Amino acid sequence: MTEIRWHSRAGQGAVSGAKGLGDVVATTGKEVQAFALYGSAKRGAALRAYNRISDEQIFNHAKFMNPDYVLVIDPALAFTDNIEVNEKESTKYIITTHLSKEELITGIPALAGKEDRVFTVDCVQISLDTIGRSIPNSPMLGAFVKVSGMFELDYFLENMARVLAKFPQKIIDGNMAAITRAYNEVK
Amino acid sequence: MAVKFDLNEREVWDGNYAASQALRQADVDVVVAYPITPSTPIVENYGSYVGNGYIDGEFVMVESEHAAMSGCIGASASGGRVSTATSSQGFALMAEVLYQASGMRLPIVLNVVNRALASPLNVRGDHADMYLGRDSGWIQFGAFNAQEAYDLALCAFRVAENHSVRLPVMVHQDGFITSHTAQNVYPLTDEAAKKFVGEIVPVDDMLDFSRPVTYGAQTEEDWHFEHKAKQHKAIMDSRSVIDDVFTEFKELTGREYKRVESYDMEDADVVIIGLGTTVETARVAARELRAETGIKAGVVAIRCFRPFPYDEVREALKNAKSIAVTDRSSPGGAMGAFYNEVSAAMYTSKNRPLVTGFVYGLGGRDFSIEEAKRIFTEQQAHADAGYITTDIQQFSGLRGPKLGFFQTDRS
Amino acid sequence: MQDLKLLANDNRGRSQLEAGFDLLGWDEVTQGSVLPSFDGDATGIANMKAEERTYSGYNSYTATVASWRVIKPVFNRDICIDCQNCWVWCPDSSILSRDKQMLGIDYDHCKGCEVCVEVCPTNPKSLLMFNEHADLEESLASWPEKKKKEKKSEEA
Repeated sequence: MTEIRWHSRAGQGAVSGAKGLGDVVATTGKEVQAFALYGSAKRGAALRAYNRISDEQIFNHAKFMNPDYVLVIDPALAFTDNIEVNEKESTKYIITTHLSKEELITGIPALAGKEDRVFTVDCVQISLDTIGRSIPNSPMLGAFVKVSGMFELDYFLENMARVLAKFPQKIIDGNMAAITRAYNEVK
Repeated sequence: MAVKFDLNEREVWDGNYAASQALRQADVDVVVAYPITPSTPIVENYGSYVGNGYIDGEFVMVESEHAAMSGCIGASASGGRVSTATSSQGFALMAEVLYQASGMRLPIVLNVVNRALASPLNVRGDHADMYLGRDSGWIQFGAFNAQEAYDLALCAFRVAENHSVRLPVMVHQDGFITSHTAQNVYPLTDEAAKKFVGEIVPVDDMLDFSRPVTYGAQTEEDWHFEHKAKQHKAIMDSRSVIDDVFTEFKELTGREYKRVESYDMEDADVVIIGLGTTVETARVAARELRAETGIKAGVVAIRCFRPFPYDEVREALKNAKSIAVTDRSSPGGAMGAFYNEVSAAMYTSKNRPLVTGFVYGLGGRDFSIEEAKRIFTEQQAHADAGYITTDIQQFSGLRGPKLGFFQTDRS
Repeated sequence: MQDLKLLANDNRGRSQLEAGFDLLGWDEVTQGSVLPSFDGDATGIANMKAEERTYSGYNSYTATVASWRVIKPVFNRDICIDCQNCWVWCPDSSILSRDKQMLGIDYDHCKGCEVCVEVCPTNPKSLLMFNEHADLEESLASWPEKKKKEKKSEEA
């Protein structure tokens, strides 16, 4: 079982990102779960979304998890939210930021000593450049594909294009570019 | 001719989307709705299927849930296949009309996405609304995940419209935990689903002008009792029809449903009996606890809350030593309703196991694997002692000083 | 004078409302307390005259509610102008009329509310209330004369 927790703000696409990831993962024959803690949350409110990925049917419906991956797609939440809550010794962090990894860890004491498990990528800038709006979920997926090694990039892009099929071609192209760039830029 | 919907063998759907797809495949004629969180996407999606030509039906927006169920009654009495969805406050407002639908023996399928009842206002999942419907004369199915929300909705039409049943059916799923959680769902093809559900054959339909009928007769003490008794007999007798529909569904899909589900119960001493998603989380806990401690933990689940499977519950729990009954609804000054029903069933059993009650998960409070293990372990202590060592009614996952009521009378 | 069996087939008003039918057991009552209005195939029944219809025992047509009436309207054919006002206003569909010609009162369903008398525009009125026990011929014989219009007072 692989468990993923997204830290996001309502409107940044964490829920869509989690569901899109689930959609792609399911095509590999795995069982997936994608859910979020929201409801009456307004745009901008901090929220958490979750994924579970397993080879067998997923029965656990608890929100509680010890995540294998923590994906932070809002730069400020890395500082203000407890992104390390319920972490394991192996939990990997992918954090969107314009700062260098060293600068980021200096600012977040909870990440001290976890340099080898912290990865950074500027999802906000990438989405501004490729999609034209700050929708940092797609680039985060690209970074996750790289860090997790769960898929080949081409395989992921192909299936993500199918998930996004209902959108105009321009949007699909932007998302593909965003995923690719983040895949290459995550450090 | 309806537009063909593009469907994959494996989909990633949340419970709401899954339920709406069942309505599309069942060719529902009329949905009358007043949408409410978290069930909104079910009727919203049906509306879009109609709007985009995927289905030849009517989507009617009304001014309240009371009107929604009233409209469903009109459409169903006219002879159509009818469905809608609601939650929580909407369900409460619908309550008066629910009794009308069952009393008139109208085969409406209501998708209930369970949500807490205010006050305080809360949009998340507990079973307060489901409990509110438990005496309404509707058959009540419980889904534990998105796949089941889809499967059971299809089965619901078959049961409701069966001429020896002719009763409305609710298909319950947990708000957000199922309704907004995307999981793998393996849908039937449109052709297979349509064939399984079949065409509705109306009874006493108001659009049959060769046989005009009156709905909504008044009966006083001279007639009312007989009609309600006949209705009760019908819902009791629906048990065998439900079993038959589940059997047929298994032959078609390989997915097996029973009115009472048992997991790891072959040799279980301690049991959690539950409703909804809690069941699946408890299953994981039972497996892990068996491996970690050797405690023989098992899970029993109610698939069909009404008609209450009194005999099946007794059969499933006959070898249990200590049972934790989980009520996800504030009992308001009583033991939990589910606790009472399980206790009543077990009171007439030969071995009369220990039965304790847990109020838990109100307003969507998380129910974790660890908490399920703690409850199992506590049941083992009761079983070892031979009596209930804690309060009989407890609260699980509650902050503050321990809250509990009543102890075993050992005098 | 009105024919009291006017338009009635054997079915009309045959049972007292309170008495109902034989009190059936739970296994015999209709499903969902749904009640058929007619016996047999009712296709095209909207185009049939009342006395031709096969009203069922569940239809109010076959039940009488007249037993508690204290005063009744009596209809005077000689004065009536067939304006249909009473037919429109009667809350119990108890004005019998055919081809826009007033025929009389359905005494099986009339409750004696007096609305028909109230709305009758003729002078004297073509419908007047009499004691339930009053004889029809005597009632007609005692019908009042045409009232003269009261002249307005000049000082008013």
